[in-house]
Amino acid sequence: MSHHFLEVNDLYYSYPDGTEALKGVSLRLEHGEAVGLVGANGAGKSTLLLAVAGLVFSGSGTVNIGGAILSKKTLGEIRRRLGFIFQDPEDQLFMPTVFDDVAFGPLNQGLSAGEVSFRVEEALRSVGAGHLSDRPAYRLSGGEKRAVSIAAVLSMLPDILLMDEPSSGLDPRNRRMLIGLLGDFTHTRLIATHDLDLVLDVCPRTIVLHRGEIAADGHTEEIFRDEGLLERCSLEPPLCMQGVRS
Amino acid sequence: MAKKLDINFNELVSCSTAASGSSLVHRLDPRAKWLVTLAFAVTATSFGKYEIARLMPLFFYPFAMIALSGVAVADVLRRTALAAPFILLAGLFNPFFDRHVLISLWGFPLTGGWVSFLSITLRSVLVVSSVVLLSLTTRSDRLFSGLGELGVPSIFVVQLQFLNRYILLLAGEVQRIVRAHSLRSGSRRNSVSLFLSGSMLGILLLKSMDRAARVHWAMLARGFDGEVRTACPLKFSWQRDGAFVLIWVAFFGAVRFIDIPFLLFGWAVGK
Amino acid sequence: MHMADALLSPAVGGTMWAVTAGITAYSAKKLKDSPDDSRVPLMGVLGAFIFAAQMINFSIPVTGSSGHLGGGMILAILLGPYAAFLVLASVLIVQALFFADGGILALGCNIFNMAFFPCFFAYPFIYRKIAGQNPTYKKILIGTTLSAVIALQLGAFSVVIETMASGISELPFNTFVLLMQPIHLAIGIVEGFVTAAVVSFVWKERPEVLEASSNDMPLQRGLPLKKVLAGFVVAALFTGGILSWFASSYPDGLEWSMARTAGVEELEAPEGGAHGFLAGLQEKLAFLPDYGFRQSGTVTLERPDTETRWPAVDPGTTVSGFVGGGLTLLLAGAAGLLLSRTAGRCK
Repeated sequence: MSHHFLEVNDLYYSYPDGTEALKGVSLRLEHGEAVGLVGANGAGKSTLLLAVAGLVFSGSGTVNIGGAILSKKTLGEIRRRLGFIFQDPEDQLFMPTVFDDVAFGPLNQGLSAGEVSFRVEEALRSVGAGHLSDRPAYRLSGGEKRAVSIAAVLSMLPDILLMDEPSSGLDPRNRRMLIGLLGDFTHTRLIATHDLDLVLDVCPRTIVLHRGEIAADGHTEEIFRDEGLLERCSLEPPLCMQGVRS
Repeated sequence: MAKKLDINFNELVSCSTAASGSSLVHRLDPRAKWLVTLAFAVTATSFGKYEIARLMPLFFYPFAMIALSGVAVADVLRRTALAAPFILLAGLFNPFFDRHVLISLWGFPLTGGWVSFLSITLRSVLVVSSVVLLSLTTRSDRLFSGLGELGVPSIFVVQLQFLNRYILLLAGEVQRIVRAHSLRSGSRRNSVSLFLSGSMLGILLLKSMDRAARVHWAMLARGFDGEVRTACPLKFSWQRDGAFVLIWVAFFGAVRFIDIPFLLFGWAVGK
Repeated sequence: MHMADALLSPAVGGTMWAVTAGITAYSAKKLKDSPDDSRVPLMGVLGAFIFAAQMINFSIPVTGSSGHLGGGMILAILLGPYAAFLVLASVLIVQALFFADGGILALGCNIFNMAFFPCFFAYPFIYRKIAGQNPTYKKILIGTTLSAVIALQLGAFSVVIETMASGISELPFNTFVLLMQPIHLAIGIVEGFVTAAVVSFVWKERPEVLEASSNDMPLQRGLPLKKVLAGFVVAALFTGGILSWFASSYPDGLEWSMARTAGVEELEAPEGGAHGFLAGLQEKLAFLPDYGFRQSGTVTLERPDTETRWPAVDPGTTVSGFVGGGLTLLLAGAAGLLLSRTAGRCK
């Protein structure tokens, strides 16, 4: 059972204006692993996620999703395996109702109507949003929007989840629920975030990205205790460890 | 401009709220409502320009639609009133150019221009209220899917759905920016200097277009291939939607070809 | 420049619907032949941009009129004629549905007047001839201004023709034309300058955007969107900042034109056409002998000198129309109320 791995080899990406966003990034996530991707603003976290999903095309390097090398040919297959949860749920809830939104992915997979509604119900139930099905997206609270945007990805039954700042904009209670949810998932997870406490709770392993390069890759607690590393990468240790430090 | 934006935003929100109702009219297939609304517009505009009394039976349509849909009368009136400048201006110049006395009312001359002005105003109110009712009783996405099912090319419908989606986002952000401005500017509520409103628009545009690019990514990530699919394709029920179309078209036809006010007058006098 | 339903006859409205439907189908087919899914969201975004830009009314110097950006030329230059036509049509549909701008029957006319001319006439035959190849600032300025002016002149003239053909409005053709054309000349010049500012910026920053569309090719993947966005921001700032500086609450060009016409003191005598129409009306109503309008129509025809000697029509006959109409309205209202109660019980 190690087929849902994610491997990135020597990945480079430059913005069209020439700024280098990724400078030779290599990493590998094993099946079912939850990995935190941390780094200061502009470190390249979001770009890395976008490049993995084939949403921006890298200059050089390879992305391997469970044995399929990312290319125009495999793009459809790879996107079926990946679930990409964007930072702002508004971006992800582009359909008029919650149901339509969660059904968007399964419908694109060509599933039957019956299968689609089953998937939608299951996905909404798993994030505790079953009662929201008929609501229009703009009538949801922040926590509900986040839950539905996750359901919209889960309904595609992805193997690997890519998340960009999943806890941003959530109140403490919703954030706690999210952490519980993320911890229960069995998917391979790559979570880009500034919320180091979330990483501490959910991800045994952490990758630190600094100016487009991997500055560290290892046990979360070890990395968060390495003040020199955090300082160098413009990061602060998680709140719950700051007390320990002083 | 701030006021106009406020109105527009509120109208968009109230419209989408009203449109997500679940009455008989809301549940009708949008194709049926498109066809009936179009037939209504054709009927109302097909009368001669001096017709007034014969337009009256057509008021039954908006009344019935309000009754059956449970849409607030105030909503319909307010939204129809938004088009008031259009409505009044459309016929305003007729009294100046058409000065033939058409009828005399107890000694007062009534020129053709005033009669046609009244007629134009009445038909404007009729047609505008019917379109207002269409938009208040049909969710915009269904309205546009309905267009697709009526044979409008899919690429047109898809980008129309996008446009519709972005307008809501845009209006919401305008609303927030304007509100933030009026909070800081103190007493002068709703009066943003036009220079400022220009820069606001620039900021807003950047934000909106950034968002649009991200939405496109989010769509691609979930297998978007150029076609937006919806889970419950519209189902045209002949018993419900077909009957709706047939009954109204028959009614419009009757109104067009039978002089109902005249018959009613005769009946009232005969009694 | 929106036309309203009430001034249109079904024949004119229907014809323009058919024409517009044909152009839409043709454009959609052309786009289908070169599929590119990134174009679809881009079209939606640019439609929203036009919407935002249209919220700013700029005043036309000297005339005391004001207008707003049509946006047709910007869209045509950035998206090519086919996609631009569809986007403009969408903007007009949304305006008609949610803001009661224009009407449902007038949709065909409005789309034709405001989208067809910039996309399928001004853009290919004027702009591309002038600035399509090896653009310079001067070429772009001349190209956009000339295109915008001509597109608006054609659109304005089209409004006049459609209004005249419908025969509901009493505006004399000459007066209407003499007011519509100069106003839309002024609007066209301003629109041309604004369009030039946008296009020049885009051309300077990302020339490939213009090249791609001038070859009728879909936009390249991975275009540096940020710079394109920046171009639009500058354009929006230009539109908003400079133009709204002297923006006003004056009515739109068309409305102003009509108001000015209506305000003219020296009124011309009604044309023979009106008499002809009345004669037709009389014939049509002849089978309703007791109907007030018929009788008065006859009398009017018999006595053209209506200013001084209006006919003494028996109020009793004219009142039939009012009573009948009033009764009908009451009945319609009562039926509506009844329906409302029934519907209420069903819930």
